[in-house]
Amino acid sequence: MKLVVAGPTGTTEHDGGTFHPEQQARIASVMDGIRALELGDEVVYPPTPKAELGDLIRVHSEAYLTELEAFCAKGGGDIDPDTFARSDSWNAARRAAGAGLAAIAALEDAGEGVGFVPVRPPGHHAERDRAMGFCLLNNVAVAAASLTARGQKVLIVDWDIHHGNGTQSIFWDDPDVLYVSTHQFPFFPGTGRAREIGGPKAPGLTVNIPLPAGATGDVVRAAIDQVARPTIEEFSPDWVLVSCGFDAHLADPLGDLALSSGDFAELARLVNEFTPRPGRLALFLEGGYHQMALKLSVTDTLGALLDLHTHPAAPTYGGPGMNEVLLAVSERRRAMEAIQTTMSSVEGGR
Amino acid sequence: MNTSPTVVVGYDGSEDSTTALRWASRLTRAVGGRLRIVHAVGLLEHAGLLADHVTVHRETALGIAAGAGADPERIEWSVVDGDPCSALLRMTVPPQSADLLVVGSRGSGAHEGSLLGSTSLELAERSVIPVTIVPREGEAQDFSAPV
Repeated sequence: MKLVVAGPTGTTEHDGGTFHPEQQARIASVMDGIRALELGDEVVYPPTPKAELGDLIRVHSEAYLTELEAFCAKGGGDIDPDTFARSDSWNAARRAAGAGLAAIAALEDAGEGVGFVPVRPPGHHAERDRAMGFCLLNNVAVAAASLTARGQKVLIVDWDIHHGNGTQSIFWDDPDVLYVSTHQFPFFPGTGRAREIGGPKAPGLTVNIPLPAGATGDVVRAAIDQVARPTIEEFSPDWVLVSCGFDAHLADPLGDLALSSGDFAELARLVNEFTPRPGRLALFLEGGYHQMALKLSVTDTLGALLDLHTHPAAPTYGGPGMNEVLLAVSERRRAMEAIQTTMSSVEGGR
Repeated sequence: MNTSPTVVVGYDGSEDSTTALRWASRLTRAVGGRLRIVHAVGLLEHAGLLADHVTVHRETALGIAAGAGADPERIEWSVVDGDPCSALLRMTVPPQSADLLVVGSRGSGAHEGSLLGSTSLELAERSVIPVTIVPREGEAQDFSAPV
């Protein structure tokens, strides 16, 4: 067994219409991308039950969950100009969150392979008590929290073009989760500056590398390698989860970065270096709104992780952003020094 | 409030936000305050994909504010990335800071009593500064009637 596909979900539910970029057709494109790998019996599809309340409550407030369920039960509607819910969205969101848990369980049982979670609605913008940015429940956070509840340390790498404000805020002060994000900035949702480095119990365990429009794959790889790698190696995760958006692709209609599908393959190889042993890497679909780019990116990304010769697109080079990578290093250092100074003065005052 | 209060008003080009902008403009004129007009840009608007999209022009907003009496020299226009609630909250806290947040009501039956889908209710719940929700024009309740 090489690939665990926990899903798909959201293929016939949570329908925002074809005008909305976060649409059911996305999952069909993703599944086309998996089929192109021709994995035969090397791919398994574990059952994906809905996440239980006990799983969700680790990362979302009970009041929010109750409200979301009731909102959907009344027929749903627009939550904000971007985000919708329908009568079936509560169950769709629970299925998406449950798929991540199923991927973790299947990988643990197998002790090998790579997990992929092709679900919608996506999750990384969903905060503890609010939906936003197309996201209702934070799928990757639900999975990460299930692992930290069992004493595991989790690295979340978020290469979606948008900063994962929800994931960051949920684990802001959690010493068992290291959150690393590369994203276009300034851009939606407006968070993700390099100086945002985590709370007092987890200083440095949030790593943001904001990048300018037009940044290419070499810049994103340098961002992870030069800014995040030292922190990741020191953190030494037991699990690596990826908020795997493909909207940094050059063709994507929602963003302005300039990656190719081959860049995602390179990023996947890079992130896989942080996996402590086989069977400890799972990728969660987040954004990605150009159907062909989505399909090709899925094929190239998973192909790279499975060491298949899929002839990925050429990686991209030469875009802007290397200065911002260097700036992120210095901005993080200054933020860490400020936290250490504050902590020293608090301790000195006792 | 300090001697020159700052009033933040959310504006998305809708009728309700225009009503709120007029109200906030009249208020700043009355108290000699500064007016910060905030327009939040979400995922769909950035991509030009917003359904029923109302094009939001800086000039239009400034014209409405000036027409309602705000001092043109004391009006700021800010375009902020994010959902409306987060963007408006961000513009009311340091380093920005403000004294009052003003928004339109924009309620609908489906969202009645629920924070979900109601920016104004969510802001009232989360804001650390006072919030004024300006009712839709012509929808003022008759408080003399039995309730």
